[in-house]
Amino acid sequence: MPTPTRQSRLPGRLPQEADVADAGSSAPPVVEFHDVTVAYGGRPVLWNVDLTIAEPCLFGIIGPNGAGKSTLLKSALGLVPLVHGTARFWGRPLAEVRGRVGYVPQRETVDWDFPVSVTDVVLMGTYGRLGWFRRPGSRERSLARECLDRVGLIDVADRQIGRLSGGQQQRVFLARALAQEADVYFLDEPMAGVDARSQEQIFGVLAGLRSEGRLVVVVHHDLRTAAAWFDRVALIDMRLVATGPTAEVLTPDNLRRTYAGQVDLLQEIGQAVAARGRTP
Amino acid sequence: MTPTGCLAVVPALTHNTLVVAAGVAAVGCAAGVVGSLSLLRKRPLIGDAAAHSTLVGVATAFVLTGRRDLPTLLTGALVAAVAGLATLVLVRRFTRTRDDAATAIVIGVGFGLGIALLSGITARGLPGSAGLEQFLLGHTAALTARDAVVLGIVSVATVTVVLLGLKEATLVAFDADFAAATGWPVGLIDQALVTLVAVRVVVGLPAAGAVRVTALVVSPPVAARQWTDRVPTLLVLGGVFGLVAAVAGVAVSAVVPRMPTGPLVVLSAAAICIVSLVIAPRRGWLARRRQRIAFEPPRS
Amino acid sequence: MNMVLADWSIDGATAMHAWAIATAATVAAACALVGTLLVVRRMSLLGDAIGHAVLPGIAVAVLVGGRPGSPLVFAAAVATGLLTVWLTRLVRSAGGLADDAGTGVVFTTLFALGVVIVTAAASRVDIDPSCLLYGILELVPFDTVSIGGVEVPRGFVSAAIVLAVLAAAAIATWKLQVFTAFDADAARAAGVPVAAVTGGLLAATALATVAGFEVVGAVLVVAMLVVPAAAAELLVRRLHHMALVAMVLAIVGACLGYLAAWRWNASAAGMIAVVLGIEYAAAVVLAPDDGLVARGLGRLRYAWRVLCEDRLAAVWRAEEKGTAAAVPVSLVQRLAVGWLWLTGRFVGPAGRLALSPAGRREAEMVVRSHRLWEAWLGQHAQLPLDHLHPPAEWVEHHLGAAMRQRIEAEVGGIGDPHGSEIPPEA
Repeated sequence: MPTPTRQSRLPGRLPQEADVADAGSSAPPVVEFHDVTVAYGGRPVLWNVDLTIAEPCLFGIIGPNGAGKSTLLKSALGLVPLVHGTARFWGRPLAEVRGRVGYVPQRETVDWDFPVSVTDVVLMGTYGRLGWFRRPGSRERSLARECLDRVGLIDVADRQIGRLSGGQQQRVFLARALAQEADVYFLDEPMAGVDARSQEQIFGVLAGLRSEGRLVVVVHHDLRTAAAWFDRVALIDMRLVATGPTAEVLTPDNLRRTYAGQVDLLQEIGQAVAARGRTP
Repeated sequence: MTPTGCLAVVPALTHNTLVVAAGVAAVGCAAGVVGSLSLLRKRPLIGDAAAHSTLVGVATAFVLTGRRDLPTLLTGALVAAVAGLATLVLVRRFTRTRDDAATAIVIGVGFGLGIALLSGITARGLPGSAGLEQFLLGHTAALTARDAVVLGIVSVATVTVVLLGLKEATLVAFDADFAAATGWPVGLIDQALVTLVAVRVVVGLPAAGAVRVTALVVSPPVAARQWTDRVPTLLVLGGVFGLVAAVAGVAVSAVVPRMPTGPLVVLSAAAICIVSLVIAPRRGWLARRRQRIAFEPPRS
Repeated sequence: MNMVLADWSIDGATAMHAWAIATAATVAAACALVGTLLVVRRMSLLGDAIGHAVLPGIAVAVLVGGRPGSPLVFAAAVATGLLTVWLTRLVRSAGGLADDAGTGVVFTTLFALGVVIVTAAASRVDIDPSCLLYGILELVPFDTVSIGGVEVPRGFVSAAIVLAVLAAAAIATWKLQVFTAFDADAARAAGVPVAAVTGGLLAATALATVAGFEVVGAVLVVAMLVVPAAAAELLVRRLHHMALVAMVLAIVGACLGYLAAWRWNASAAGMIAVVLGIEYAAAVVLAPDDGLVARGLGRLRYAWRVLCEDRLAAVWRAEEKGTAAAVPVSLVQRLAVGWLWLTGRFVGPAGRLALSPAGRREAEMVVRSHRLWEAWLGQHAQLPLDHLHPPAEWVEHHLGAAMRQRIEAEVGGIGDPHGSEIPPEA
């Protein structure tokens, strides 16, 4: 792994503490993917990813469409079965630390015509802590209001979720994750189809989480904003191409390897794996 | 539940009618509540697959026990309904067959097997086999007071289960991925919902019959969805619409001679549904049309 | 019911049964043809909806004087079927509903309406609602028309006409149907009248459903429409093959189902659906590509190949290092060694086995694949050195000669990241 160095700072960025990965601390890394391979229908879509995020920071997962970025996120959350490999948090399996892991899925994965209000959705973030059959009480309600306030949606708290703009819907999901009161957040394309103002607002909330000492992992597709927003990034294209501090990783060479990479080779081998046969 | 006061007003309402009304009302109400949940989970027709599988269970239970009291036959029907839904899950899991085709296969083959068994039983003239085919279309008038009590208890029980697990069901229905990521056993909750639907369908059998019980699970929730944007209200309205449809159906069939109760209950539910689709504020057809006119410039 | 098939002679009863079977088979073939397109277009439940919903149309037509089975009733039923489709779309767009919900509301309502009409007019209309559900196949031969002096069942005539019309339409428009089913947007862009093609399919569904309705009843039409087509989809890959296989399965199912019903004295329609279900189950188990048996065998074959290749590579590596190969411990490993000896890839007495020339070539290719993949991963994926072995241990069994050469060209002869030599291509 390349030795991390201090990166150039863009003006106007919030101060950040967590740029040094191996500062010699003995604490286990916050998130550790060990040789993770994921297959859909027997065909590998993500090959042998070894990725360690040692300390809290704003971490971007960058790559082209269909590169397996969301799949990597889902593999950490146990939403897709691993062919092999493990994903661990603070050196422990997910099941032991579920309450400390927050998740913002892609906006398109749910039906926004569903008959729930903005507050109802945010309250869902507290369900994990509540457990079976207990209803959210006044503590949960005030927490939900706080979270809505933080993303600037307190005015639409009682609206049905379908009557919001795309950026507002994304912020509802963010508020729901905030209500999880987690230490690690995984966000799947939170900036997709979101207006510039909402993007700034969402980024502001994420930077706030980082400054509270939480790890924020974001799947992102826009290279221009990625350079400005993330402390560290991983370039993914069916395999891990490079990872480290943003400025070091986003080099022309790495980007060429990511965006014009070896995918056809991996896809051919993947087909052979799915068919339990051989490539030509 | 017993509107004794009505007795004096409408002489056609006999004791039997009231019993039937109470039983059917309980069934309709609970069907509306459970149906609302399966509408939210976007699987309104799993009830249909369950319903068409029940005949196999009715026939098998009769052959195995030789008895034809309601609890025995309904237990058989429940086992068969769950087996039908389990087949659906297996087909989805282990084959390339698409969801809609899998549902159609369970409906067609399950019903075919049921018909074959029933016809075989009838042809052999086994003692007591005479009235079994009433489960096909329902035979509300044959309900006894004891049957109505059974139906009522099961209905109350299912509604209680729904209310208990409403938080979990809503979460899974809205965002299954998030539910799974936060540690909820999505598969288990889905199975519970499917089992509830199966219970609902089976309890509806004596009143509406295998073919029409689907209507009780589909129409009232669709109507209720037009009026509200909140899950709890949706459940309440679904239950109320189901209850009203049931009572209206029973009342009309009591007043108009020779009118079958089951179809009238379905038609009442449909009437509520159609009215809701047209006039409901915001989501109704009229409201949408008005919005469109307001937004679009008039064409010249 | 102690007759056996051999007792059949050409007498009245046999002719009756033959006509009933012919009718059922004709209807089943027509349904399967339409069903193929419905299944691939995810419209399988449409047949269910139409099958239930035509009841009021039939009831009204009979009420105004149409004879059951007459063209008037037939036309009324088809019209009601199309009305169902239209109403479903209307309800769906009016309510902003999911597909299934709209379908569920419309067909249950129309069916109930039909039952009410039938019951209300019971004195004037002779329709038994349960007959509509499971058909009157057994009675088909008794209602005949005279064609050229031969008494032919009316049901068979209408079924044959429907099959002929549908087959002709299918042959004429098959390419358009396939294009639309595969990608409606692309078809529209290419100038295919997608709305007309879909409308034609809906009309064909209504026609087939009504033809089937008279024979096997409302619900079982669903089985005839969907089950053979779904089974065929598991068996073959091309759409026109699927249609043909579905029709064959449907005809076989109709014949066997009728005979089974006659043997066990049960409803013919019910038994036909059961036989079709058995055919589907058989397809699930026996389908050549991804049937349960084929998949299980494929898994076993793969596990066996991996086992053999691993043994060969282990001996080769031991030779390279100059040590003795690890002795196979488990029973399957010993079986694999025995197999490799039998097939001439190991030679020598037990205990001192060595690679034969053929075995050596094979082993070298496995090791070559392994080391090439390690080299590739080392260059193209960010993995620490000690993490390269497990993925290569897996991929080594999947690389062919051409792929190995491609990888070799890419890694540019830098050698194995652990410093071992990569054997040359055989």
